Amino acid sequence: MATESNPAPPPLSSALPPPRMSVGAAGWIRANLFSTWLSGLLTVTSGAVLVLALWYGLDWVLLDAEWTVVTTLGGQFIIGSYNSEQACPGQNCFWRPQAALLLVTLLLGMGWGVAAGGLAKRIALIAAIAIALLAFLPYSLDKMGLDVRLLLIANLPALLAGWALARYTALGTARWIVILSVAVFLITLVLLRGVPGVPGLQPVLVQNWGGLTLNLVLAVAGIVLSLPIGIALALGRRSNLPVVKSLCVTFIEVFRGVPLITLLFMSQHLLPLAFPQNFPVNPLFRAAVVITLFSAAYMAENIRGGLQALHPGQAEAARALGLPGWQTTLLISLPQAIRNVIPAIVGQFIGLFKDTSLVYIIGMVDIVRVGYRFVSGNTQYLDNAPEVFIFISLVFWVFTYGMSYVSRHIERQLGVGER
Amino acid sequence: MTELARILTYQGIPVWRHTRVIQWAAQILSAIVVVALVAWFFANVANAVQERGISYSFSFLSREYHTPIGDTFVPYEPSDTYLYAFGVAALNTLVVAVAGVILATLLGIFIGVIRLSGNWLVSRLALAYIEFFRNVPLLVQLLFWFFIMLVLPPERDGYVIAGQLYVNNAGVSFPWPTGTGQPIATLIWLILAVVAIIAGFVVSRRLSRREVETGRTSYPVLLGCAAAVAIGALGWLLVNAFAGDAPLAISTPEPQGRFARIDGGFTARAGMIVLLIGLVMYTASFIAEIVRAGIQSVGRGQTEASRALGLSQLNTLRQVTFPQALRVIIPPWISQCLNLTKNSSLGLAIGFTELTSVAQTMTQLAPPIPIFIMLMAAYLAMSLTWSLIGNLYNRRIRFS
Repeated sequence: MATESNPAPPPLSSALPPPRMSVGAAGWIRANLFSTWLSGLLTVTSGAVLVLALWYGLDWVLLDAEWTVVTTLGGQFIIGSYNSEQACPGQNCFWRPQAALLLVTLLLGMGWGVAAGGLAKRIALIAAIAIALLAFLPYSLDKMGLDVRLLLIANLPALLAGWALARYTALGTARWIVILSVAVFLITLVLLRGVPGVPGLQPVLVQNWGGLTLNLVLAVAGIVLSLPIGIALALGRRSNLPVVKSLCVTFIEVFRGVPLITLLFMSQHLLPLAFPQNFPVNPLFRAAVVITLFSAAYMAENIRGGLQALHPGQAEAARALGLPGWQTTLLISLPQAIRNVIPAIVGQFIGLFKDTSLVYIIGMVDIVRVGYRFVSGNTQYLDNAPEVFIFISLVFWVFTYGMSYVSRHIERQLGVGER
Repeated sequence: MTELARILTYQGIPVWRHTRVIQWAAQILSAIVVVALVAWFFANVANAVQERGISYSFSFLSREYHTPIGDTFVPYEPSDTYLYAFGVAALNTLVVAVAGVILATLLGIFIGVIRLSGNWLVSRLALAYIEFFRNVPLLVQLLFWFFIMLVLPPERDGYVIAGQLYVNNAGVSFPWPTGTGQPIATLIWLILAVVAIIAGFVVSRRLSRREVETGRTSYPVLLGCAAAVAIGALGWLLVNAFAGDAPLAISTPEPQGRFARIDGGFTARAGMIVLLIGLVMYTASFIAEIVRAGIQSVGRGQTEASRALGLSQLNTLRQVTFPQALRVIIPPWISQCLNLTKNSSLGLAIGFTELTSVAQTMTQLAPPIPIFIMLMAAYLAMSLTWSLIGNLYNRRIRFS
């Protein structure tokens, strides 16, 4: 009968649930770890390797590794031999980098205030809290004084002060933050270098700057200077003026063709010759010049890529609207070109930060050299070299990964690749 | 004259706003600035060279170098000249660059492919590898491996794996083919081996074209390999018959004497091993990202269509996805090869004698300026070679 051959569907309430193996945790595991026999085999072998690696790795980290080699160096990783008796005789100079750090935290707070939450807030809070927590490191008081600890904790009020400054005064705009950032960088340089004749600020030779501070100072200087130089070179390379173009191409190709380490090594002999004898060609200046020019050559190629990818209609429309050439470039082409190559630019910044580890070639003691010098100078610590370099790797990793994280966030906010 | 007058009065536009005039002024101005700057630097250098009596002649190149070089791939004596020592170091750079590029590419492709695998665990492991090795300076990684190598046991009680592979703080030794008594026989066989490989390629090319055109299964890879092996083996037997000796023999490493110095086989010394491990692991993380981006750039429809045609997952990757991804992969890959070549200058930090480190040693005994000129010329030549390869490839894919 009709009703038997074509039965009414059962009521919804009695519909069978989906098979247990295709939903929930079991379904996820099946789809992502055991979808085929090959995938299952991969999961089992790599899982076994991972477990073994974790087992032995944790065993080493917790039981076998001698982390005292890292804690012994402590402040030297941060600042090198800046605070040593030979560099800063008769005084405690550690407050100077710490004061600079306070200013940076203030800026972070202002960034949080201007951006009103989001990523800026997260970064500012994480950074300030992490710095403040350093104050509770279990060193004895004569190794890490009360003043040092208090200045570290002071980063929290500095953050809040920055936030309030941005919220309740006229300084709370992006433009002011840029201006103040440059000011803070210059103040940092003056603080670290010292001013002759001022008590408490006696000059410290740049040869004695070191540790992570040196890496950061060089990276910031390189980033700030290499971007405009790179933009100028990229525009020069695309210009239709033959002289300008060939000069830019020569510069870019020469600096891209030779390793940075070779350039640094050559600068040690050549730069002092290329300047008059009384010119202050100190190692810091040399390193900053070489790193900036090297990075600018790569930056130019990244930006040129962005300019090439831009549809010519953009520039044509701007010209048709009556914008003069320089306004077309500055207001129409460049912003879009740079936006398109943000990942490449940030990648270049990360590369620049990593490259600051090469300044040991010209005799500067950055964070890597601090570790290397200690390990190779104290043979009883030779076996503990892996601990030192794992620690240094993690320090670098935090910064570089943070940079790429921020870049991805900015990219998402600008909607790159969505149009 | 009339031309000038015409420009000056053109439609009432003042002359300083005339595009041509501005462009010429910009060119002349920039040229003057650059020339002045360069001239100032050169004047300073010339001044310093004269005042401090720095030599800039290349005559030192024919002097004897008198400095031992640890790793050499050609015979080298301390009594050889500076020029020859520079060449030995350049060869070291080349060997590390070529070996590094091959290994880094293989590892990079492997990690890039498993990064895209549907298996969550494997893909996460690849991601962890990439994010770690890419974000830590190469120098730190090299020093890490350097000290690991340094604290390995000495040759006397080093590790021996399967009786063939010797690992100790002097380096890694493994079996390696060497020529027997008659170098002519070895040479003839090597030429035959090259011919065999070329023949194998030709056979496989022909067969794969036939397969595409006619649809008949022709086993191009299998038969190509078979052809190469057959010609090689035939050559071996012929050379053996005529010369009365095998063209090549396998030399295995063997500990000798009281300190168990490893003799025979091939010993990759510690500096080279460290440099290679560091360069390969670092560069592979970048190549993996390039490979991933390349594969992802191939439309999903391509993969789905080839799966629908019944190609296996491996064949889809090998014959559909990868050839298309190559267009996107090759240009950044070339620039990674260039980076690897340049990063080999970090051999300086771990005691491997390559171009930069030999230059550093030489500047202590010889005038620096000619050495720098040679050094820059060597690196620029290498980077030009890589760019040339990249441009040739780009031209090929553009016109095909």
